[in-house]
Order: sequence, then C-alpha cells, then structure tokens
Amino acid sequence: MIIAERKPLPEIVDKVKRYRKILNIGCGGCVSICLAGGQKEALELNVELAEAFGLQDVPIQLDTLTIERQCNPNFFEPLDQVAREYECLLTMACGAGVQFVAERYQEIPVFPAVNTVFVGVDRDLGWYEENCRTCGECMLGETGGVCPVTRCSKSLFNGPCGGTRFDGACEVATDIPCAWFEIHRRLKLQGRLEEITKIRPARDWENQTVRHLIQPSCQKRYLK
Amino acid sequence: MVVDPAGAVNREQVKQILERNQAKMKYYLSHCAHCALCAESCFLYQAHDRDPQYMPAYKVIHSVGELYRKKDKVDRALLLRIKRIVWKNCALCQRCYCPMGVSVPSMIAFARMVCRSQGVYPQGDAEGEPESWL
Amino acid sequence: MSRALIDFIRGPMFWIAAAVFVCGLSFQAWRFFRLTRDKPRRFTDAPAQSKKSRAERFLQRLGQLWLGCRRSLLGRQPTLVVVTVVFHCLLFVIPLFLWAHNRRLKDALGVSLGSLPEALTHFLTGVFLLCCAFFLLRRILVRQVRALTAGTDLLTLGITAAPFLTGYLAYLQWFDYKTILLLHMVSGELMLVLVPFTKLGHMLFFFFYRFFFGDEYSFGQGSRTW
Repeated sequence: MIIAERKPLPEIVDKVKRYRKILNIGCGGCVSICLAGGQKEALELNVELAEAFGLQDVPIQLDTLTIERQCNPNFFEPLDQVAREYECLLTMACGAGVQFVAERYQEIPVFPAVNTVFVGVDRDLGWYEENCRTCGECMLGETGGVCPVTRCSKSLFNGPCGGTRFDGACEVATDIPCAWFEIHRRLKLQGRLEEITKIRPARDWENQTVRHLIQPSCQKRYLK
Repeated sequence: MVVDPAGAVNREQVKQILERNQAKMKYYLSHCAHCALCAESCFLYQAHDRDPQYMPAYKVIHSVGELYRKKDKVDRALLLRIKRIVWKNCALCQRCYCPMGVSVPSMIAFARMVCRSQGVYPQGDAEGEPESWL
Repeated sequence: MSRALIDFIRGPMFWIAAAVFVCGLSFQAWRFFRLTRDKPRRFTDAPAQSKKSRAERFLQRLGQLWLGCRRSLLGRQPTLVVVTVVFHCLLFVIPLFLWAHNRRLKDALGVSLGSLPEALTHFLTGVFLLCCAFFLLRRILVRQVRALTAGTDLLTLGITAAPFLTGYLAYLQWFDYKTILLLHMVSGELMLVLVPFTKLGHMLFFFFYRFFFGDEYSFGQGSRTW
C-alpha cells in the first residue's frame, strides 16, 4: 500500500500563508490507513495551522472535507460542490491524488500536505516498511519472495556484491540485512537453489515514461 | 468546520445532506429488486462464509436505507451501526455487480460521507477503536 | 357488486390504468433525464492504439467471450438466468398475443395484434406461473434472498402473478367465471398502475442504469452522470 508522511508544519504554512480561504482535503484511501492524511489527520493539521496563523494574527477561513479517494473520479462529487469557493486547496492525498485534484480544478493552486514515500507493508499499527519500488517486472518468484530492487542497497540482480558480512548484514550499513543472503537462505529452504545461478539481463532504468495500464477485461472500452 | 466526535448529531446538517441526494438514493433504493445477485460479486461475502450481512444490497439497505427511514431522527447510535457496515463490512473495492445497474459503491461512499460529516469514522490508532477497519 | 362498478372496471378503469402506466413511465423517464446530465469529457485520453494484430485481438475476444459465458451470471447461476429470461419474455408475449385480449382490443379500437393459438398461450401461462413459483420459493428458501426480502417483495410478486393466475383459472373456467374474470381485470389494472412507482419500474430503469451510466458492468461506456 502507498505510505505517506505528513510534511513538516513550517513547510505547509509557508506554502499556504498568502491565502485567506483554504480547504484541507483529507483522503479516505491509503493515507487514512497509514495514519498520514485521513479525516482525523486533516482535522489535526487544521488545528495546527489555525494556531500558526493565529500567531500571525491573520483572519483565515480554514475548512476541511474528506472524500473517500482522491485517485478515482467517482468520489469527487462532494468536493466538486465546494472546491471552487476556496483560494487554494491543501490535499493530504498521495502524489497521485494531488495531481488528480490539480487536474480537476486547474485554476486553483493545489498544495500537497504529505510526502508520498513508498509502497510497503504494515509491520504493526503505525509502523510501515518499504518493500516494493513498482519496477514493473516482478521477479519475486525467482528470489524466494525477497525484492532485490528494494531490499538490496545496490539493487543488484545477480547475486551478492561480495561485501556481505558474516552475520548476513550489508557492507553499506550493519543494520541493513543483505538481501541476497536472505534470498539464498529462502531458496535453500525451498529446495530451489538453482534459481540463484540464473543470469538476469540488466534492466533499462533510463527513459521511464508515464506508464499506462488497461486491464484486458476493459480493453474494448478504450482501444480501437 | 470542526466537529466534536463525542457531541450530538447535527440533525439539520444530516437532513440537508440526505435531501440534497434524495432523488438518486431513493431511486436506487426503490429499484433494488432484492434479488441477492450482488452477493457473489463481493469478496468479503465470499471470504466470510457467505454471511448475508456482507451482501452489497444488505449493506446498502441497512445504511443508506436506514438513514432515509430515520431522516429526522438520526442519532449517534445509528451512525455507529452504519460505521460498522460501511467500513468494516465494505472495502469500497467497487466490484459489486447489480443486474439493475444500481451503483452500490456510490451509496456506500454516500453513507460514509454522512458519517464523516458528524465525526464518525474509523480512527486506526484511537483509544477504544476495536480493530483496524481501514 | 353493483353493475356500474363492474362496468367501470371492465371499461374506463382499464384506460385509466393504461394512461397511468404510460404517463407514469414517461414522467419517470423525464425525471431521470432531468436529474442526470451529459458526462463531462475525460481529462486525458487513454492510449488508443492496441499493440496486438487483428488476428490476435480476434482470438483474444473469442477467448473472453467463452470465459465470459462460463464466469458470467449465465455460467454461475444458469437456472436463475433462464427462468428470469423466460419469465420476462412471457410477461410481454402472453398479454400482447392472447386471443381474448386481442378480441377485446378489436371490439374497442377496431385494430389488434396477431394472436397465438389459445392452447399455446394457456401452456405458456402455466410456464409463467411455474416461474413465479420458482421466484417465490427462492425468496423463502435461499438464505441470502431471505435476508433481503421485505413484505413488498412478496406483494409485488403476487401482484405480477395474479393477472396470469386468474387468467389461467378463467380459461379453465374453475370457480365462478365472472368473479375470476373481475379479479383478473382488477389485478391487471393494479399491476399497470404500480409499474411506474415501485421496483417494477426496472422495466425502464434497467435500461437507463445499465446503458446510460458507465461502470464495470455497463453496456457501453455510458454517456450520463448524476
């Protein structure tokens, strides 16, 4: 799931301080789940902003509205009704949602209130760990479920670099486990060690254009 | 627009929201044929041993339907019951099938909006929140 | 029952019911178009060119059609789908092509539709009643459907079945013919009047919702939005 982190307050204040009517838009999707930008976080941010502006003695109308998703046009109806009454929109959605909002209300300045940091898992409540970089060519089947792109410091594809420490730590930092050490351990456990000797071609990391995906079941709607 | 989560429900505000969307919601509610064909399209229904309370039509009738039945008398207890239905029992994955074409996701999103307007929504890390519903 | 009331039910009441039916549905259609609007354009266009060759696309579509038949509602609940289709076809075919109805129409307006043989329409009415029985049993016996069933569902099913049941009994001349015929007319008129204002309005709204709104299961992309 997409994990985001609330931007520092001074950064947000700096961006919106010149506006007098601000709408803070929460999102009920990923940012709610990772406790970064849901309704509660939007309300809390507004309290902090009101305090910050109060110190500067400026009369500001600071409202909030949370919609279920900011990445899907089906959920924008409540926002459509009020968005154009504001001078700027502050959104707590991930980067995708921010852009969708900006595209929908192009004449209104839109500011992100969170940084979208990674795709990851919930280790526990409030604790999230990155383990996917959405490279588009998943090879987890060959590496025992350990992602070399995300979990290897050097994103190596064909085995360890030779710097693995004896306890299985990465040579870059001792608190990073060596991904290929773990891959070897997993494949051995599964009796599939021969996978580790397969050579994978270098990936073309340049020229990353905007990716589109249309599921096969929906292709006839859009493709000629 | 700060809402006090423990406070009384603003019935006037809820009534306004209900009236603004009345035509669409009431059309959908009245055209639901109660055929239960939406059941199999819901993964939560399948995953919870085909428990009827996870059927999309059931969820909608007991959330949006209840809101319109109790239009003037919506209270916090009702919103808390609806919260359970539209958040715990629904992931808003939008996969619900309806032979009539009733848009179940838009009704669930509407029920969530009504709850949110009164400060009723899941708060993953709050005290007393029973489990993570999001 | 007074002669005047019987004459009213046999005569003007039918035309009133038909008028309510037509005007009610027209009103609903008008209201639907007033409450919805043309969908605004998408902000960006999806890539239009498919990378597959024509042959590949044709085979893919064929495969999807086959899978679709097995995984769609027809594949998962074939009995229900067949009964529903037969029910809805007969709902229109029987009243429109029944000899007795066309005779009444000819007497009243001088024109009528063609008629099917009476033995056939009688048999088809029996099939229709079996479909109604299927729906009733489904409502009572299937757990998921029972969880959704309200009194109005049984009432609606009853009102839909009543004209056909009374017509069937009238043809067989069981019980008092005139009473059964009166019940037939009253139940038929009641059904006509209720169509625009109850869930029977799906007669119109099935097409509106599934053709005009675009979603995963719509027929086409949908040109309207609320």
